[in-house]
Amino acid sequence: MALQTAQPRSPTPPALETRSTTLLLWLRRVGSGLGRPLLALALALIAGLIVIMITASGSLFDRFNAALLAYGYLFSGAFGNAANLSFSLVNVTPLIFTGLSVAIAYRARLFNIGAEGQFAAGAILAAFVGMKCSTWPGWLLTPLMIVAGSLAGALWGGIVGLLKAWRGAHEVVTTIMLNWIIFYVSDWLVSGPLQAPGQADQTPSMPPQTNLPKLSVLYNQTLGHFLPTISQPEQYVVDVGFLFALVALVAYWFLMSRTTFGYETRVVGENPRAAQYAGISVKRNVVLVMALAGLFAGLGGTLQLMGQYPYEVVGQVFRNDTTGFDAIGVALLGRMTAIGIFLGALLFGGMRQGGSLMQLKANVPGDLVYIIEALVLFSIAVRFLPVIRQALVKRFSAARQPTVVAALAGGVVDLDQAPANGAEAPTMNDQPLSESGRAALADDGSGQAQTPAQERQHQQNGEA
Amino acid sequence: MFWPIFLRVITSGDLWQASLQFAALLLLPALGGVISERSGVVNIAMEGMMLIGCYVGVAVTLASHSVLVGVLAAIIAGGLLALVHGVVSIHLKADQIISGIAINVAALGLTNYLNIVQTGGQGIPSLAFNLRLPVLSWGPLAQLPFLGQVLFQQNVVFYLAIVILLGLQFLLFRTNLGLRIRAVGEHPQAADTAGIPVRLIRYACVVASGLLSGLAGAFLALGVAGTFNPNMTAGRGFIALAAVVFGKYTPLGAAGACLIFGLGLALSVRLQDTGIDSNLLATLPYILTIIALIGLVGRTVAPAADGVPYEPGSAE
Repeated sequence: MALQTAQPRSPTPPALETRSTTLLLWLRRVGSGLGRPLLALALALIAGLIVIMITASGSLFDRFNAALLAYGYLFSGAFGNAANLSFSLVNVTPLIFTGLSVAIAYRARLFNIGAEGQFAAGAILAAFVGMKCSTWPGWLLTPLMIVAGSLAGALWGGIVGLLKAWRGAHEVVTTIMLNWIIFYVSDWLVSGPLQAPGQADQTPSMPPQTNLPKLSVLYNQTLGHFLPTISQPEQYVVDVGFLFALVALVAYWFLMSRTTFGYETRVVGENPRAAQYAGISVKRNVVLVMALAGLFAGLGGTLQLMGQYPYEVVGQVFRNDTTGFDAIGVALLGRMTAIGIFLGALLFGGMRQGGSLMQLKANVPGDLVYIIEALVLFSIAVRFLPVIRQALVKRFSAARQPTVVAALAGGVVDLDQAPANGAEAPTMNDQPLSESGRAALADDGSGQAQTPAQERQHQQNGEA
Repeated sequence: MFWPIFLRVITSGDLWQASLQFAALLLLPALGGVISERSGVVNIAMEGMMLIGCYVGVAVTLASHSVLVGVLAAIIAGGLLALVHGVVSIHLKADQIISGIAINVAALGLTNYLNIVQTGGQGIPSLAFNLRLPVLSWGPLAQLPFLGQVLFQQNVVFYLAIVILLGLQFLLFRTNLGLRIRAVGEHPQAADTAGIPVRLIRYACVVASGLLSGLAGAFLALGVAGTFNPNMTAGRGFIALAAVVFGKYTPLGAAGACLIFGLGLALSVRLQDTGIDSNLLATLPYILTIIALIGLVGRTVAPAADGVPYEPGSAE
């Protein structure tokens, strides 16, 4: 049995690697990439529907109608008109940043539960700088606050990486601990050193010269001179931070799929031992990845502070904020890809916004959104389809592929680990890369020597 | 200014009574964490299991007019939520961290949702005193100076927690079953070879963690607060997680950690007059845990197979 299944997995002749098969395989990868998140979302929405039906009143038909009505308000509240959409996008911006934070760490197989803490660290240091230098001109203070906030986040994430690299402290525990440390520290700052005089636990508003402009206002002031202007731009509350988030998405994509650092991170994530043999410094990579993760989240916190009313940090706000945890759902739903994170953030941010309309109009508590979110997480974690498939292929698991092949396989790091890969992974377009991976393994001497794959990467950089 | 207040606070029975109460509240989910992690299943969902225990405890107590039924319901609710974690992480081999986060989010959403649906957004009023978990007063012992207040005028769950603590310590390190649990967490393949039912033991341990967390939730809602508030656990499940790690994955160690953390919590409220900020003092458990993790004072090492799903027949 085992021999038979092992047969097709042996190296395939390169003659098969034609354009049409490559395209077919690419389509299949996109299909399977979209399939699971969509399935997860569908299951979650159905389960949410059932929850509403259980708690509604009337006949079964009435209950079903009530649930559909609630979903109608949920989605029209999120994306129904331009004003609602702009509110949704306000939620989307921090979700993109924290989602990137979770995703970049996950690429190195590090579980960053500390996005919320890094988010808080960024916001609180930016607020500190903004308050201490409140008389400085905007062109100087604005970038200073952004840089300070990003660095604070990077520091807070970098500590996790350092502890992991230096002492092997598990990042899940350290990130949870660091979250609560920064929550309390920020509460202390807001109720003490940074407290606005005569106010409750909150900082004063950030100096007005640092407030980020609304997207609509910016548009009227620039493109609006040539194109039709937006009337009443103030009602569209989304600010320039959203553009930063889009740039961050592109930066993430470039970093992960077009640079040596991204390549090394993926290898470290898939197989640290292989990475070590290939001359990659795993410890350095872990610290860098966590610092970058923190940087993304810290930038998100900073831009939230500077972009949205009331432009201040309020007591206990981070402790009760779920952005950093939602981000885990966003990143998993988006399968750690830039476009996926964008769509996931749009969905979660929209639901948050739509939830309040749903509660107002359909009398269904907005907390339903949390339930849906949890169900999305569950169905992603469980991987229903692979579980079924796995039951079929389990007996052949002896002939499992070495994981380094998966590590080097193209851009998407597949969340389905070995069993699912065993069923479909050894595709033809992976073959050249995996060969270079073997070359990298063979070259275990000096850390300086470039592997063929790295050379390839550099060539691509040159072309780009 | 500082020392007189500090001395007065530190010698008051009131402080130690509160410390022990906080400690017992943390101890129950921490013991749950210990047993779950010892069997090789990572559990970061004590927070959610506690929260569901809080809500179900209050709701059922109100419906049945019996605090005992309420507590039992809370325990079962915690156990059921843990069973979900068990099925997802043991049987379906899902990522235990993701599952844990999902349970925390689900518990937050469900309790808030049901609370709003049930009360129309009014919130649950304070419970009558006959519907709360009673304080046990040990007759003449309770009249002892200092000790009487600290040790013999505690909530009934406090004494239950101590019994569970001693029982669990004995179970894990002095019995055959305890040896099996630890074997399953350290080396499931070897345990399986020796004929130990790996999955069954893991299921039992995870569900036990849920039962204990549910009890802690009932203690918090029915014994301490006397009502349900949204997200009322406020991170206690995570402090319990810290206690598990800080206590080196042993029941007695976790209890020691809970005592320190409980004292910190009780102190933070009472030392405000001295100028020590309560928020800064509240960071202490987390900082201590990180220090313990990096091994400055005796390194903490998790069970070897913690978080690794076991696949029967798989080779190391």
